[in-house]
Amino acid sequence: MQNKVVRNLRDQASVLGSLVVGVVVWQVIVDYGIIPSFLLPAPTEIVAAIFSSRVNWWANIFATLREAIAGFVLGTALGLLLAVAVTASGIVRKIVMPYIVAIQVLPMVAIAPIIYILVGFNDLSRIILTSLLSFFPVVVGTATGLADVDVNLVYLLKSLGASESLIFYKVRLPNSLPHLFVSLRIAITGATVGAIVAEFVSSNIGLGFLMTTALTSFNIDLTYAAGFILTVIGLLLYGLVEGVGRASMPWFRRR
Amino acid sequence: MADLVSLKDVSKSYTAITGEVVEAIRGVSFDMHEREVLTLVGPSGCGKSTILRLIAGVEKPSSGSIERRAAEGKFVVGYIFQDSSLMRWRTVYGNIKLPMEILGKKGAEAKIPELVKLINLEGFEKAYPIELSGGMQRRVAVARALVHDPSVLLMDEPFTGVDEITKEILQTELNFVIRSLKMTGVLVTHDIEEAVYLGDRVLVLSAHPGRIVEEITVDLPEIREPVIKTEERFTRYTKEIREKLNLLHPLRLSRRPTDAPA
Repeated sequence: MQNKVVRNLRDQASVLGSLVVGVVVWQVIVDYGIIPSFLLPAPTEIVAAIFSSRVNWWANIFATLREAIAGFVLGTALGLLLAVAVTASGIVRKIVMPYIVAIQVLPMVAIAPIIYILVGFNDLSRIILTSLLSFFPVVVGTATGLADVDVNLVYLLKSLGASESLIFYKVRLPNSLPHLFVSLRIAITGATVGAIVAEFVSSNIGLGFLMTTALTSFNIDLTYAAGFILTVIGLLLYGLVEGVGRASMPWFRRR
Repeated sequence: MADLVSLKDVSKSYTAITGEVVEAIRGVSFDMHEREVLTLVGPSGCGKSTILRLIAGVEKPSSGSIERRAAEGKFVVGYIFQDSSLMRWRTVYGNIKLPMEILGKKGAEAKIPELVKLINLEGFEKAYPIELSGGMQRRVAVARALVHDPSVLLMDEPFTGVDEITKEILQTELNFVIRSLKMTGVLVTHDIEEAVYLGDRVLVLSAHPGRIVEEITVDLPEIREPVIKTEERFTRYTKEIREKLNLLHPLRLSRRPTDAPA
């Protein structure tokens, strides 16, 4: 137990240490003019931009978070439904999968105008765009977990007279959890990117909007400041999903 | 003693991925008597596991018939697989309890502590399979197969992949549990010693398509200890099985090492 605590502390310290070293190197590179600060502002300049600008950070953070989380929830729900459908029926898989892959391989900037024309320039269109980046990993990951089960467990339940729905509930669903949480970690980062890109294309608030407006006015410090906050949000959301996964699967964490 | 399972001229074929029809077993007939342990021994791919799946009712025969009767109530099997096949998301207790959940047997949980004690896993009830050794996982699989008082216990190479020492211990424990609970069982194995050690009757199967080529009645005490494997009466049975499997003649190898004795 004590060893585990020491190991955890050592791991945390090494992560923090590498971060500090990275930031110091970055600062030195800019301070010594190796890279000019108008291209890459120093960490101190970025922090200063966060506190000195008149930007309402909370409003922008809330707007981006709302879109990212709503898109993530919508994409995950859609992904789960599709995963169950493609696992349950070979016909559905053959019909639906090409469309799912087609949506995934199309660049978001190509889909965005269609969504905006269909739904309008509003929150819903941005949430739909965000969900498109979330649902694909959920479909693929969950479908793999639902299908890739120990066949002996299926035999065992069948020999006891279990129905397909009971086998789904008792075997396939819990078996898919590790795959699902890997997918959700990819989906939450996809949702964050999706929200930002949606704001690039059409929005008057949010970190993506802030980054575009700051960039067009050559306010490089503010662009990086928004990017830094976005990174922190992305890491926190990723950590949250990972934490939920660990709490839901104690049997997997002990591996 | 009554027959619990009767197979009459059963054959089973599968369609392979290539589209080719593969005959797994051909014209297999035998009866399983109550409280007897029947062992099926034969080379890999001779359809031993297929026979178990047919008895369990998870597959249907291509031809022939299978009759199942329970000594009491509904016919239900207990199933042990070669790699334990535990649910990794369930604790030891949850895994053992599973058949009762499927069968809707409420209140039967009271039996679990007794079974946990019988398989020497007291104190590990809350452990997950990943936290157990291979031998402990096999014990949990045995308890899961027994918890619902099955009519017949099906054992599909239950100790494959276990080291020799652990295997002997597990075999002895399993034999003790089966005999103590007066179970009827069918064990599939490619281990000739195991077939004799655990069985009352050994059915020797040919290479695929599997057919019964010999039936040997094992006249040994019900409760067996590893020392019995060194006795002449035991080796007589194993020799007879090897004979039927053509293992006592020089093997026709396609290529011998150049320095091998002629």
